[in-house]
Formats: sequence, C-alpha cells, structure tokens
Amino acid sequence: MNNSTKKDGPDTDLRSLLKHQHKRVYSICRLFAHNYREHQHLFTNIIAAASQNIRTRKDNSDDKQTMLLRACINMAALHSISLELEPAVDRSIQFKSPDYQRSMTNFREAMGGVSDLEKFRLFLEFEKVAPEEMAGLTGITLGSRNLNRKKEPDTTRKNFIPYLKEKLIWS
Amino acid sequence: MELKKLLQHWNSFPEVSMEERPVLSSDLEKIVVKNPLSDAFYLRKKLVIRIAVIAGLWLINTWQFRHEWITQGNELYPQGALFVLLLGSLYFHIRLLLFADYPTLLALPLLNFLNKLETVLDKFILSFKFISALAGFYLLFGVEGLLARISSGAAETLSRNDWYKWLILIFLSVSVDILLLHTLIPRYRKLTDTVKKYRDGIVSKAQNK
Repeated sequence: MNNSTKKDGPDTDLRSLLKHQHKRVYSICRLFAHNYREHQHLFTNIIAAASQNIRTRKDNSDDKQTMLLRACINMAALHSISLELEPAVDRSIQFKSPDYQRSMTNFREAMGGVSDLEKFRLFLEFEKVAPEEMAGLTGITLGSRNLNRKKEPDTTRKNFIPYLKEKLIWS
Repeated sequence: MELKKLLQHWNSFPEVSMEERPVLSSDLEKIVVKNPLSDAFYLRKKLVIRIAVIAGLWLINTWQFRHEWITQGNELYPQGALFVLLLGSLYFHIRLLLFADYPTLLALPLLNFLNKLETVLDKFILSFKFISALAGFYLLFGVEGLLARISSGAAETLSRNDWYKWLILIFLSVSVDILLLHTLIPRYRKLTDTVKKYRDGIVSKAQNK
C-alpha cells in the first residue's frame, strides 16, 4: 500500500479501536443476521458507520465506545427495516460452519420470537453495558411517557400557530 | 426467555468460520470509507443534484425576470412566480440537506435516529410538490414555445391571456404531481411507513415494560 492510501485511511486510534472491538460487532450480527451474507453485509456497514461516527467526534475513548455501540444498534435497526421491506426474503438460519449453524439454531430457538428492543437489551446485557447507559444508546427510558412525543404533543405548551410551527420546525 | 439459559448458549458460541468471517484487517481501509447507508436512506446525492439544478435554473430565471421587468413583457408575472418558487425550493432543499446532517446521523441514539430519518424522508416526499410546481412552469414555457412554432396566432393569444396561462399551469402541475404520486413517491412512502412502524413498535414495547 502506498503512502497516499495510508494518508487517506483511518487514523491509528480508530483502526486499533475497531480491531479491538470488532467482536462486539460480531455479537450484534449474531442477533440480527440470518445467514453469512447478511452477517457480512451488516458487519461491514456497522464498521463503516462506527468509523464515520468516531471520525466526526474526536473526543475521549468512552465516547468512542458509545459511538460504536450506537452504530451497532442503529445499523441493526436499519437492517431489520430493510428486511421488512422485502417480505419474500428467506429468514432461515444458514451458515456454512456446522458448529456455528447448530449454535445459531439453538440460540434462536432459546431466544424465541423476541422483539428488536429485546434483542438490543440482550446485546447490551451480553456486552456488559450498564443498564443506565441504555437510555443514552437507544433514547428509550423505560416507563417514560415522553417516548411518543411526536404523537402526543404537549398540551400545556399550546402554540398560537401550531400548523405553522409543525411546518417550520422539523424535529 | 431465561437469561441464564441464553447466556449459556451465548458463551458456547464457536467463532465464525474463516470463510464466513468478514475480513477485518486487510479490508479495513476500504470499509471505513464506505457509506454505511443504503441508497434508499441516503438522499444526500439526490439533494445535492437537485440543489445544483435549481440554483442553475434560478440564475437563468433571474436574468429572464429582470429582462421581463425592464421591458414590461407578458411573461412578467409567471417569471416572478417562478423566481419565488425557485428561491423557495432552493431554501427547502438546502435546509433539508443541512437538517439531515448525514455524517452525524448514525451517531444519534436509536429513537432520535429513527425520528430524524422519518422526518427527512417525510420532507423529501414533500419536496416532490416543489418539483411538480416547477415542472408545471417549465412545461408551460414548453407549450408556449411549441405553439409559437406551430401557430403564432394561438401563441399570441395565450401570451396575452393570463387566465389561460395560469389554468394551464395549474393543470400541468397537478398532472405532474399525480404522475409522481404514482411513480416515484410510493417507494419513499413505503420506506417512511416502515420506519414509522418500526419506531412505534419499539416505543410501544418500551412503554409496556
């Protein structure tokens, strides 16, 4: 590889972080991918998203971990949305390695048909992320009534021109 | 679902076989510069192209509008309306591009990310209204140009009769809008609905906990 390519490539910190943390990415792929093609696709997308997130925020290493986890969660959500858009797609577990195939089948059977939110919670649990950090990663505070802010506008703060406000302020 | 049992399964997972494992080290340079969003979600290119085209049209229109203003031509009002519309479209598209802020979009927490994605898609669908209105204007100019070649008398009548002109303009704009509603928009509408459904599903599950 020549120098110019190296110059354009990721910085050393980012490279080492991604190399050290790539097992986390494998973990979320395990929860969301059905076959090796999906696994590879999701893996590369998460790595690309994480590097984009980290490059845009040059902060401390804790923040980098958060950026990586957010990339994992957001890309997994997009993966699920993309699968929903293609209802005819084959969702059976198909991996070449017999051991991995067996483990995946057993794990999916044990997990059952859980929702994506549960999968995110499992992922964070398995990756030993503190439960209080979940709100920062998903934006979800359990039991909070403010979750559906978009659907239930705050009636106490009545706006004098609600229609205009809705049109002008994009939230 | 028992967490202990799941954890047991999780810990007994073998490594993915080498042939299936995405290569990390050698491909890292390529992966990190790849755009993680698929074409359906990544509207930056489309927005940039539209902004460039609208800006070009606006510059041409500014010159034509000035000419009509000085000569008090028959096309003064349509050119004035087009000037305002192009300016509005330019503002809307630039604002949408800045709002989407693609480099930081994936760094948001999940719900904020889904909300923003939904808003961007929603506004992108809305932007087709501007395209329809603009198409109406340019098709009207096309019709006028065609009439001038085929029948100069008819072209003269049309250019002097503002009512006909505005009616044709409305008809053409609505026709283009209906065409877009049945061709390009359903794809984005389906995408927006899926994102919304997914977000609502997550929110309702969290509220039930």
